[in-house]
Amino acid sequence: MQILHIESTKSTPEIHFDPISNRMQIKGQSYPENAFKFYEPLLHWLDEYLQQLEQEVLVELYFNMPYINTSSSKCMMMMLEKLDEAYQSGKKVMILWYYDEDNETAMECAEEFKEDLLVPFQITKVEDSSQ
Amino acid sequence: MYDRGNMKIVIFACIMIIMSIVMTSGISYFITHEAIIDKLKSRDMIYIIGSISAKIDGRIERAKEVALILATDPSIIQWVAGAEKDERLGDYAKEKITGIAQNYDYSNAFIVSNVTKHYWAEGSRQIDVISETNPAHDWFFTALHSDKAVNLNIDSNAMRGDTFVFVNALIKEQGKPLAITGVGLTLKDITQEFESYKVGKDSNLWLVDRNGKIHLSANVGDIGMYLNDFIIPETAAQIIGDEGNISTSSPKVIEYINQRGESIDLVYQTTKSTDWKLVYQIPRSESIAILSTIKVNAAIACIVSLVLIVFIFYFISHKIANPFKRAILLTQEMEKQVLERTQELYEKNQKIMDSIDYGQRIQESILPSTDELSSVFKEYFIIWKPRDIVGGDFYWTRKIDENQGLFVLADCTGHGVPGAFMTMAVNSILNHIVDEVYDNPAIIIQKLNKRVRETLHRNQSNRMADDGLDIGICYIDQRNRLLFAGAKISLIVKRADQVYHIRGDRKSIGYLSSNDDLEFTNNEWRVEEGDVFYLTSDGYIDQNGGEKDYSFGRKRFSQMIANQGESSLAQQQQALESMLYEYMGNESQRDDITVIGFSI
Repeated sequence: MQILHIESTKSTPEIHFDPISNRMQIKGQSYPENAFKFYEPLLHWLDEYLQQLEQEVLVELYFNMPYINTSSSKCMMMMLEKLDEAYQSGKKVMILWYYDEDNETAMECAEEFKEDLLVPFQITKVEDSSQ
Repeated sequence: MYDRGNMKIVIFACIMIIMSIVMTSGISYFITHEAIIDKLKSRDMIYIIGSISAKIDGRIERAKEVALILATDPSIIQWVAGAEKDERLGDYAKEKITGIAQNYDYSNAFIVSNVTKHYWAEGSRQIDVISETNPAHDWFFTALHSDKAVNLNIDSNAMRGDTFVFVNALIKEQGKPLAITGVGLTLKDITQEFESYKVGKDSNLWLVDRNGKIHLSANVGDIGMYLNDFIIPETAAQIIGDEGNISTSSPKVIEYINQRGESIDLVYQTTKSTDWKLVYQIPRSESIAILSTIKVNAAIACIVSLVLIVFIFYFISHKIANPFKRAILLTQEMEKQVLERTQELYEKNQKIMDSIDYGQRIQESILPSTDELSSVFKEYFIIWKPRDIVGGDFYWTRKIDENQGLFVLADCTGHGVPGAFMTMAVNSILNHIVDEVYDNPAIIIQKLNKRVRETLHRNQSNRMADDGLDIGICYIDQRNRLLFAGAKISLIVKRADQVYHIRGDRKSIGYLSSNDDLEFTNNEWRVEEGDVFYLTSDGYIDQNGGEKDYSFGRKRFSQMIANQGESSLAQQQQALESMLYEYMGNESQRDDITVIGFSI
């Protein structure tokens, strides 16, 4: 599987999915006009990746997203549900969510996501992170 | 602009080229000039004089050999020693000298005996008797007593108009000088050779004696005259006075300026065999005559290359300039097209904007009028800011009777035109539902969820285009009761300095992924005098700005509401709007913004 790397833009986050180190990272704001168009390839990549993922391998997902618009958060939810499924089927998955201490919206958003999920979901405050 | 610049470059280039060609030619000519003169002095002159000298010397050396052969011939020695008594020997000797004279290109051959004082010449003749008293015979006695094997005697014979060189060899017997024998040769034949050395009409070749008297010349008329007649005195004196040259016999090159101011190159050399000097001179102008040809040819080459270069340059610059010109024309053409396309785009954009503008009227037509709002509220303010002229937020009201009324704030998916479509659909559905039930916000939302899902997702199974809405519904009973239910939208109440949040249920409605059986909660609020109620879609909360470009945030919003204190609703609207703009700064609006504040 190839590394999935997408550079950030004004309205989309930076994506770095590395199947070799098993670390996934999404960093930046997300408010594209067409969220589905942006997130579809990510969801497909994840499907493939999770399928070939072996039981003992721990996959970590790092999120740092100051703002997510409604349509993006629907897609994010889909992504998180996929990870939740994988976790429930026995795979080792861990979600680490970081937010700047001044950005309460980001924290609220993370907590909302966490509510409906069983997968380990760690929300961590970062002090004065610079973009 | 292009042409003028081009011209300047062309002119400049031309000047550079002309200068370089002229300089090259000039320098080459100068170098050639110097080289020719150098060659002339160091080689040509020396070669000429050496060549002539060698010829003369050769001739004389041959004569010496012949004389020596005669002088060492035993028969001749015997005959002379025997006082010419032996007739047989005498015939031999006479035949010998005759033969030599005839066959070997000598003007005379002779035997002069000191014993008999007879002068025997070619042709077996005795032509003279030698006597010591005769000054004409001094040569004989000088040679006899010189004890030198060979002697030269040069004699200019004015009568014959010729110069003779007599090579005298000494005949000795047992150390005693007996006679002189030898040959004589005329230098006249050498004169012919002299003539062949004449390069130009003003060049001269002379054979001069120790006094500068000319004995041989390429011009026969010069014979008998002196060097001084032809050359300036200083130079003539220098040549004549050069005694050292007699022993070294090496060529010496000098130059002088004659009376007419012309530069003359001169070379002289003493012959090896005699002490007479060969003098060769040639005017500088004749030597470098060849240069004039070079000069002319160089000038022609110069002009030809200049002309050629001009043509080539012109040709090339055209080849370059033409594409260059064409490129410029192309750019102009392209710019024109860009302008046209921009104009087209502008017109298209105008059409679209006009269409959306018109759509705005339609969207606004579904919004409640001020009258309708006044009938449901006591006081109110509405901040209504769709992001792109039309939007996905809308508010709705229905007066049931004099006490009861409904107010709805809905935030449909998206913004702009798609959002606006949603608002039209939801508005219509809402109207129908409220015909059935009006006093139970939770039920209204529940029904809305079902019906919106039916309407929007009838033919779809594609999860990708999932649309729905968030909503907040207030059932208002003017007798001081308010019922609130919300899907993702909350109600904020300000009572004195306290701010209360009545959260809506945390599920959106209308989406394909929404559950059909979703249930919602009615929250009751006992209304007191002075209560102010606020409803906002997420546009205000999510607006980015401030130092770190984060969202405004719920906390900050609540804080702001709390800070309003007792201000009138109109003032509060002002405050909210200015807060928003201040926070936004240079950022653009992120989403549709709707904030409603009311009291009942």
